[in-house]
Amino acid sequence: MTLIWGGLALGAVYALVAIGYNIVFISSKTFNFAQAQLMMVGTFVAYTGLVTLRLPVFVVALMAVAAVFLVAAIEERVAIRPVKEPEAVLVTTLGASMLLDGVTQLIWGPQPLTVPFFGSDDVMSLFGGQVYPVEIALILLTVVIVVALSLLARRTLLGLALLGMAEDREAAMLRGVNVRRLAFGAFAFTGALAGLLGLFVGPKTFAVATLGASLALKGFVVVAIGGFGSIPGTLVGGVIVGLVEALAARYLGSEYANISVFAVLVVILMARPSGLFVRTQERTV
Amino acid sequence: MKGRLSLVAAVVAGTALTLAGCGSSGSSGSSGSSGGEEGGSSYRVLVLGGVSAEGVLADNAKTSIVAAKAGAESVNKNGGVLGKKVEVTVVDDGGKPTVAVTKLREALAKDGKPDLVLNSGPSTVAAATLPILKQNNILSMNIGPTEDSFNPSAFPLNFDLSPSAADYAKGFVAHVKEKGYKTVGIIHGSSAFGVTFGKEIEKALTGAGISVVGTEEYDVAALDMTPQLQSLQAKKPDALMMNAYGSPVGYLLKSLQKLQWDVPVVADISVATTGLISSPPPNGVLGTDQVKNLVMEAYGSTVYDPANTRVKEAVDTMAAIDAIPATLVMAYNYDALPLVAAAAQKAGAVDAKALAQALEDPAVHEKAVTAMLPRYNFTAQSHSPNVDENAFVFIAPSTIKNGQYQK
Repeated sequence: MTLIWGGLALGAVYALVAIGYNIVFISSKTFNFAQAQLMMVGTFVAYTGLVTLRLPVFVVALMAVAAVFLVAAIEERVAIRPVKEPEAVLVTTLGASMLLDGVTQLIWGPQPLTVPFFGSDDVMSLFGGQVYPVEIALILLTVVIVVALSLLARRTLLGLALLGMAEDREAAMLRGVNVRRLAFGAFAFTGALAGLLGLFVGPKTFAVATLGASLALKGFVVVAIGGFGSIPGTLVGGVIVGLVEALAARYLGSEYANISVFAVLVVILMARPSGLFVRTQERTV
Repeated sequence: MKGRLSLVAAVVAGTALTLAGCGSSGSSGSSGSSGGEEGGSSYRVLVLGGVSAEGVLADNAKTSIVAAKAGAESVNKNGGVLGKKVEVTVVDDGGKPTVAVTKLREALAKDGKPDLVLNSGPSTVAAATLPILKQNNILSMNIGPTEDSFNPSAFPLNFDLSPSAADYAKGFVAHVKEKGYKTVGIIHGSSAFGVTFGKEIEKALTGAGISVVGTEEYDVAALDMTPQLQSLQAKKPDALMMNAYGSPVGYLLKSLQKLQWDVPVVADISVATTGLISSPPPNGVLGTDQVKNLVMEAYGSTVYDPANTRVKEAVDTMAAIDAIPATLVMAYNYDALPLVAAAAQKAGAVDAKALAQALEDPAVHEKAVTAMLPRYNFTAQSHSPNVDENAFVFIAPSTIKNGQYQK
């Protein structure tokens, strides 16, 4: 069971990155390759607030939300908005990710930094397995965020406007939706969310300048498995990737961990080319 | 006709100028190495280092560069390399092989051949630059060993300053025997050094009659090593041999604690270079339960000892030049110039081939005033330091000052 908890916690971290990818995809039909780096910045801000400045958790949470919101907003203005083609955005956001890697290293240095969890750091036993409290928190948080965002999308005007925008941007504009403002808001929201998540992800992964690169690819695999634009899909995708990686590393050897994840991805995409939670729509010509 | 003649004349003139340019480039190469020629007044050393690299590589590179400068200062104080003053030039290679190749070629074209090239790791940079150095007949000393960097048949003018994985394994064998462990498990990273470490240590321990119950590899980009450790835990070894570098050190220690596995952990020198180990909470794990079973392999020079005057002098010189952000494990470059100075005295010359031949002489090793490793044992068959187990100590984590554990 220790292995299962570990796999689920790892999957939750990947899923949290994937949620950010999906929100941007829904609102802008493109990918923010710097999403994992935003979360990485969140872990560093959490470290600064909790360790360097010794601030209360609530204040640190606000600080992280504000700081990464700002970083994401600047990224949107500099790397997304001036670019017209969605394909080019992939390049500019990739550039932003590299910039964030470098800047975090310049500010916080190259060594991994311990981010204390505001709950307990002691190992606990749960259903026959050993697990850190932060790992349970990550799993629960992922479920809560997925449920909240799914409800937001279906039951609020904002969510419906976002979905409408994702479906047909021009039609949404004709219905009075301010698509530019909404896209900017969604993008900046992913930054704020990444900042908050830094307080939970940091205690699991440390704050380290290579974290973004470690998370980015697996987050993308989670999106591909769950389906591009599907928030519930990220939960299932995260569980699959986390568990497959952990089980393969344990029983097949670590050299098969990544191979197994990509093998599962290939099998799923062969059966469901748009991912598990997105239906392929035939276009009438 | 006149126009055609003009064209021919222009082409001839252009060709002549180009050839002259090539000639001057060649001579500039040799004048660049004029330090290396008998008439030159300086001995030119080019240090490649990833100052702008990501992760712990940057700290390692900075330490390596400071060490090279300190080594040069020490040699200059004692008369230089056969009377020539050592001049150090630093090139930032970003810790990336492609950048290193470009910057090295640029430096060779612009300033001519240096007399000696030192790198600051990692081994990918060495693998990319050694062929260029060989092509240009430049003496080099390398702290990032590759598969064949120590092989004189492949690179006759290169000398590895960093001990090989086989050397490190000798230290492990001695420690495991001393502690009386009969069975061990091995966990190592998927990096080139990690994989070599895994192979060499398994071979050495097995050869010494120690039973290796399992060897597990982890992806260095992974965030959790619980599965691999769980697999080893199931085989109940007396001790765990561990290789890790940077954040994987923290992941491994967390996973060990999560598994509540109370096993002696014998870690390699890479673990000793990770800051997490030497910082108390909340920054690191020093003094916590996570490191209570941990000992790390290190060189004697990395442990503070006021009685060791040679190391003390090296550290003081380094600290006077700049901060020492990593441990002295990364300061091999300090030893490069004393080795070259001793070789030059023996050879009576400073050209690369003569120095390389002299560096294989045990008398030179004896005479060289090195500090990071007490003695280098290059031979005509192997340009690796070939240190014995006495070069290593196994220490518990402690705080670090000026690159040394304050045990």
